[in-house]
This record gives sequence, C-alpha cells and structure tokens, in this order.
Amino acid sequence: MNPRTVSALVANDLRQLARNPRLLVFAVALPLVMWPLMWYLTSLTTERRQERLESRTYLYAVAENPASADGATWLDRALARVGDDGRNGDADPEAGPAVLFERVAPPDDLPAALDDGRLHVHLAWEPGTEDGGAPRAVLTYRADLDASGTAEGYLRRALRSTRVEVREQRLAAAGFEADPADLLPVERIETASEEQTSGLLLGRILTAIIVLMMLTGGSIVATDALAGEKERGTLETLLTTAARRIEIVTAKNLSILSVALITSILNIANIVLWMQLDIIPAPEGLKLVIPVGTGLLLLFLYAPAAVLLSSALLLVSGRSKTYKEAQLLFAPVMLGALAIAAIPVLPGIALRSAIVVVPIANLGVAAREILTGTYDWPLLAAAWAVTAGAAALLARASVRTLSAEKLITASDTDAADLAGGPALFPRRVPGWFAVLWALLLVWQLNSGGGIDGRLLITINLSILGAAAWLMIARYRLPLRETLSLKPPPAAAWLGVLIAAPAGLVLANGVVRLASLAMPIPEEWLEAMADAFGADLPLWQMLFFFAVLPGIFEEIAFRGVLLHGLRTRLSRVPLVLIAGIAFGFFHVDLFRIPPTSLLGVFLVIAVLRTGSIYPAMAWHALHNALALSGARIEQIGLTEEPAWWHYALALGVILLAFRLMSRPKVS
Amino acid sequence: MSTIQVEVQGLSKNFFDQARGEVNAVTEVDFECRSGEIFGLLGANGAGKTTTLRMISTVLQPSDGTARVLGHDVVREPVEVRRNLGFYSASTALYPRLTARETLTLFARVNKYPAERTKDRVEEMIERFGLGEYAGARIEKLSTGMKQKVSIARTVVHDPPVLIFDEPTVGLDVLNALDLQKGIRELRDEGKTILFSTHIMSEAERLCDRIAIIDKGRIRACDGLEGLRAATSHHYLEDIFVHYVTGNDTPA
Repeated sequence: MNPRTVSALVANDLRQLARNPRLLVFAVALPLVMWPLMWYLTSLTTERRQERLESRTYLYAVAENPASADGATWLDRALARVGDDGRNGDADPEAGPAVLFERVAPPDDLPAALDDGRLHVHLAWEPGTEDGGAPRAVLTYRADLDASGTAEGYLRRALRSTRVEVREQRLAAAGFEADPADLLPVERIETASEEQTSGLLLGRILTAIIVLMMLTGGSIVATDALAGEKERGTLETLLTTAARRIEIVTAKNLSILSVALITSILNIANIVLWMQLDIIPAPEGLKLVIPVGTGLLLLFLYAPAAVLLSSALLLVSGRSKTYKEAQLLFAPVMLGALAIAAIPVLPGIALRSAIVVVPIANLGVAAREILTGTYDWPLLAAAWAVTAGAAALLARASVRTLSAEKLITASDTDAADLAGGPALFPRRVPGWFAVLWALLLVWQLNSGGGIDGRLLITINLSILGAAAWLMIARYRLPLRETLSLKPPPAAAWLGVLIAAPAGLVLANGVVRLASLAMPIPEEWLEAMADAFGADLPLWQMLFFFAVLPGIFEEIAFRGVLLHGLRTRLSRVPLVLIAGIAFGFFHVDLFRIPPTSLLGVFLVIAVLRTGSIYPAMAWHALHNALALSGARIEQIGLTEEPAWWHYALALGVILLAFRLMSRPKVS
Repeated sequence: MSTIQVEVQGLSKNFFDQARGEVNAVTEVDFECRSGEIFGLLGANGAGKTTTLRMISTVLQPSDGTARVLGHDVVREPVEVRRNLGFYSASTALYPRLTARETLTLFARVNKYPAERTKDRVEEMIERFGLGEYAGARIEKLSTGMKQKVSIARTVVHDPPVLIFDEPTVGLDVLNALDLQKGIRELRDEGKTILFSTHIMSEAERLCDRIAIIDKGRIRACDGLEGLRAATSHHYLEDIFVHYVTGNDTPA
C-alpha cells in the first residue's frame, strides 16, 4: 500500500467535504446548536409548567353526602399540608400551604364541570363501617387535563400523609410507646469506590455513545464515499487510475474515521461546554476521571470497533448503486449496531462468556469491566482480536465491491442472481447460519438454568433441523448431493470406531490447552453435569445427547453448511471454517475449542468418504463416549492423559482418515 | 520505429443481463496498437467497444483471452497496466468541488507520478491546455469546454504512454469535438499510443490511422482506411462499415 496515494485520496475527500457548506451546516453545525437548544427549551418549559402549576388556585368540591365527622377533619388537615408533598418537613409552618386550594359548590354535572375547568377535583366520602372502619375518600378528576391531574395528585398525597399522621397518633393513643419512625430503621453502606460506581455508569453507556457518534459522523462521508462517487461518475475515473482497490478502500475508511472522530470530539466538547455554562445539567454520580493508562487502553480497545463500523458503512455504500439506496440501507445498519452496542447495559454479562465472540459487544463489556477495575487480559486480547478480525473481513468485502462488476457498471446481474436456486445458495449460506447462530445465542442467553436438558437439546436440534429443511426447500437443493447421502467405503466404519475415542482424547487436550488462557470454573463443570442429565436413564441420555445430535447436527453442519461453503473455499479454509463454525454454535465459551476440533475432524471425514454416515456415527459415538466417560468413573479415566496419549491419539486419527479415503477411480 | 504497446488476444466477456439472459458482449477479439498511432474501434452502440476498453483498463475482468499493456497482463498486473494508461470517457467525471489544479495534482499523485516533478508537470498541463485563468476555479463553475480540457489534462497528467478515449465526443458540440480531436492528434504526434472508440464514421475517418470494425462483440475487419477501401471497393467509411456489419452492400 502506498501512503502517498492513500493520503492524497483522504485529503481529496476531506477537502470536498469542507467545501460542501450545506452538508457542514446540516451535519455538523446544526447538531452542535440543536442539542443544547433542545435541552434548554425542555428544561425551560418544564420549569415554566412547574411554576404555573404551583402558582394557580385549584378548585375542589366535596360531595354533600352524610360524611363522617372524621372525614371533614381529615380533609381540613390534608388541605393544610397540600403541596408539601412530604418533602418540606422543615418548611415554615407560618407560610401556609404551598398550593392554593379553593372550595366550590359541588356541580350538578360533574363530568361537564371537570371538562370546562369549573372544577379540578371532586371528593366524596364513603362512610366508615359499623365495626370502626374508617371512611373512604373517592377522588374524581380528569387525567388528561393538566390542572385536574395535578390537583388530584396534590390532594391524594396530602390525604395519604394525613392518614399516616393519624395512624401514628392512634398508635400512640393506644399505648404504642416508640416513635413509629424508629421501628426497623434501615441503613445502607456501599463499598464500591466512587470510580467504580461512575465507571459502571460510564461503561454501560460508553459503547453506545461511541457507536452512535461514529455512525452519525461517519455516515456523512460514507454515503458519498462510494455510492455518491458511483452516481457522479467519479468512481470509474478513480478505478482507472493506478490506485489499488485496497488503497481506495483504506483511504475511504480513513476519511470516514477522521470525520467521525472530528464530529465526535466537537460534540463531546460542545456538551461539556454547555454543562460548564450550566445550560445542560451534568449527570449525577458521573465522575469523568479516567487515569491516562485506562484511557489509552480504552482507545486501543475501541480502535477496531471504529474500523469495523466505518467498514460496515463503507460496505453499505459500496453495495449501493445510488446515494439514495445507501441512505436507505444505513438505517438497519445503525439499528443493528446500536442493538449490539446496548449489550453492555444488560446486567450480569461478563466478558468471560460467549459474548467474547460478538464483535463490538465484546469490547463494550470489556470496557465496562475495565472501568470497574477488572482486567481479564486473555479475554481482552480475544475480544480485541475478534472485533479486529471482523473489521478486516468487512474491509475485504468492501474492497470486493470495487471489483464486483454488477455494482460498478450499472446494469448487469451476476449469473447466480439470475439462475437463483442452488447457484445462489453458496452466497446465502453464511447469512443463514449467522442468523441461526444469533437465534441460538439469544435462546441460550435467555433460557437460563432449570430447563430440562432433554427439552433444551430437542429445541436446539429442531431449530437446526428446521433451518436445514428450509434452506433445502428454498434453494431447491438436490438432497442426495447436499447431504452426501452416499454409501461410504467399508473401511471407513473401522476408521470411525478407532477415531471416536482418539478424537475424544484430543478434544480433552484442546480443553487443557485452552484452560491455560481461560481456566474453567468449577461451577461451570457442575452445571454441565446437571445439563447433561446425570440422573437420566442411560438409554435416554444416549438418545438425547448422542443419537439426536449425531443426526441433526450432521445434517445442518456437515450437510447443508458444508455443501454451501464447498464451492467458495479451497480445501484447508473449507475444513477450518466449516469446523470452527460448528464449534461456535456450541455457544458456551468453554465448549467452543473442543467442539471446533470435533467439527474439523467431522468435515474431513465427510470430505474423505464422500458420505455423511461415518460422520454421523463418529459424532454419536463421540458424544456417547464423552457422556459415559463422565459418568462411569470407575473405568479409571479420571487421570489426565499424558502427552504421549495425545500423540498416540493423533496417530490413530491420521490412520482413521487413511482408512476413510475413497478408492481412487482409475 | 513504432513498437507494439497494447496486445489483445482472444479477449472475451460474457455476463448475465436480467433482460437478455447470457450476453456475449465481446467474443475473441484480437488486435494490437503501436506507439504513435490512433487505433479506432468503430461500432454501433452496444457493439462491445466500451466493454473491450474497460477490460483493457482493468475495470472489468475478461471471461477469456488476454490483454497486455506494455507487456503487463491486465489480470495479473492491473496496477502496472493502469499506471501506464490514461482513460477518458464521457462517463469518467471530475470532482466538482476541486479546482483544476487540485484535480491534476490529485491524479498525478494517485497515478504515482514522481513526487518531485508533480508540481512542474501540473503547471505544464495547465499551460498546455490553456487552463491558466481558470486553474483556481472549482470545476463545477467551468463551462463544458473547459471541463473537457481539464478531463484530458487529467488523463495525461501522469504522462502515460497509452491513452484510451472511449467515445470522448459524446455530448460535445461540433467546435468542442473538433478541439478534442485536435488534442488527440497532438498526443499521437508526441508518440502516444491511442485507443479511440466511436460510432461516428466521419470522426473515425478523419482521426484514426487504423480502424477495427466491431459488431456484436466481434471484430469484423481491421486495417487502415486505404486497406479497408481496397478490400471492399467502397470509398466512404459508412459504406465500408455497412459492408462488414450487414454482409451486404448498400444499394448505390
């Protein structure tokens, strides 16, 4: 990449933006003024309304029915304190009531009187009962009329505090000596430091703020970046120059990032300024003191998130043919990004969970943990890498939009779009599985404990099975070919028999390796044991946790997913991606490494035998062995395998793969 | 001695179009262009001229065949190819908010013209195309004729040996078109290799040293004007064109 080319392109973008006065006014200057103006006007009108409500006289009427004598006294006492709302206990008693109430005659037509403001609230007494029950006050008012609603509120609160007062007096009169206020006093001691409290507050909202600013600021440039250039015809000019596609995309990304950064800084400085001027109130409990080290760490942490967002914007722009189309597509991107950025707000989500593989959200959770003083280094690195990887993928995708002929030359469609059906499927399969994954993630995060493992697995597998069936039907995929429903070579079965236990040993090795970076908590192991229904009869356990997954997960992953990815990837990436995707569907963080390994093995098994059946058998056998291994401890597998066990297992697996190979057709 | 600068062999392009299904836009096109000549691609609208030129300029990928610019393959070394050519068409627009000077500087840089000579080269272009007075004005404020001059200056600012003009006179009035043709001839005389596409017979007749007649994606004939006349015994290029495209001669 040539820095001179990139800087020339960035300078060009920024220069043009700076010369677009309309854009500057609407996208930069107006928001700067609008924000404080809105705040100011809102607080102004709220104040005014409050003042008006406090200074007016409220009209009330009392129904002329045989009210109890108590009722009349209570009303007098309530009216004396109306407007205090219990908060000015130390107010000057001479000052009289804070709000003026004036009694009027009860009207003939109550609704009409409330409607035209002759009356604001009407009080009727329901007499007390024979056995000493107190009379009941009935307030009639109109909630949609400001004065009526407010009058009711004042009167209701005044009556209630009168009730408390009367009750306390009666208690005292009945011989209750202690002051009721001294009964069970509650005191609170909070041990979080001020930094931790405000860190939590800031950490929850920081990601959402950054995402919002990135998107609003960045979209100014992004729309114009590729879609606008296409529309004006300057993209073709640019594409015929010696600039590489990656240089163009890098330059566009840098332009988006710089503008997003500049507008964000302007906005934050603006808000801080207005806070200093007391036009906007500063949020309570927010101490904006972040140590330099933490600040730098956060900056480093958010960098890939910023690149990811700008790449997403650029991708949308690149995939649109016109300015308008790009603007239309920005809305869902914005909503999606904000939804992800809101995840750190949810309580109880720790970085050490499946969230670590969700780009942006993982950094949000990480930032929240850092701001409250938790530094989980290996997981921080993982979160950073995941988001950076996603950013790189999106950037690559936007580079591709510059080579996609149907996008740069106006009319043509690709072969697959036209043919539809099976030809289109390879391009759609990643999207399907991404949605499926998100669905299962949400389901897993919300299902919590306490659900019968049998039910859980049945639902998971039904979702997978239904999705596989939907994809096969929707894209008219040939069943036999898609699912590799072919007889395998006979030796493959022997291969499966020896591979399954060896695979289990290697999976154990991967778990041990992974636990160096993220130790598995004891509770998790216990929870897993519970989930796999340690108290179920053996046949049920094998059926639900070995046979069913062996069938349905194989159909979904080694059938549909593998079929979709096959035409697009060469062998090694195919095996890795299809295998690891399977691992990621075991949403639980600690299960991802071993299941990814199993996924890789199973993909190889299908590719080598040309059949899905050995993979199904292997999968079922693997699960069965894992379950019984956990259950039957007397076998003596409690000891951790030694290194040569792993080496042996690897050898066995390689031998098994050899056995699985189809005879060469000469 | 003129050398071969652009070589095109068996170049083909197929794509799918929603209305027409599979389209063979260009089929097995062969030709070569030498330095110091204007090579014309003459064909009706939709004959495959633009598709051919876009493949040579690496914007489109060939479905089959090869094209080389100064020996660089368009698929394997696209950056080297683009560095050695200037591409001009009615659809290659300029940035409206830049000035002519900024535009030329930008494209010299992006096309990797030596940094230390960029400033002088830009001033040279401004003088050569008579942009002096307007060099500091934004392009959106310029007349069509001036914009066109900036466009050509943009195409040649990095001094590429090969220039592609894809229907450059579309939308220009007669005087501007003639002006443009004059500019192209001057560039040829400086030794540039020029690929020029048009559907206007008189333009090809007046400008091109050799003409390839392209129809439905195939080259039907390729020779100098005299050669084409001798082969078809027609004098006017219009008749020659009809001869090759319809296979029939027009009634006299």
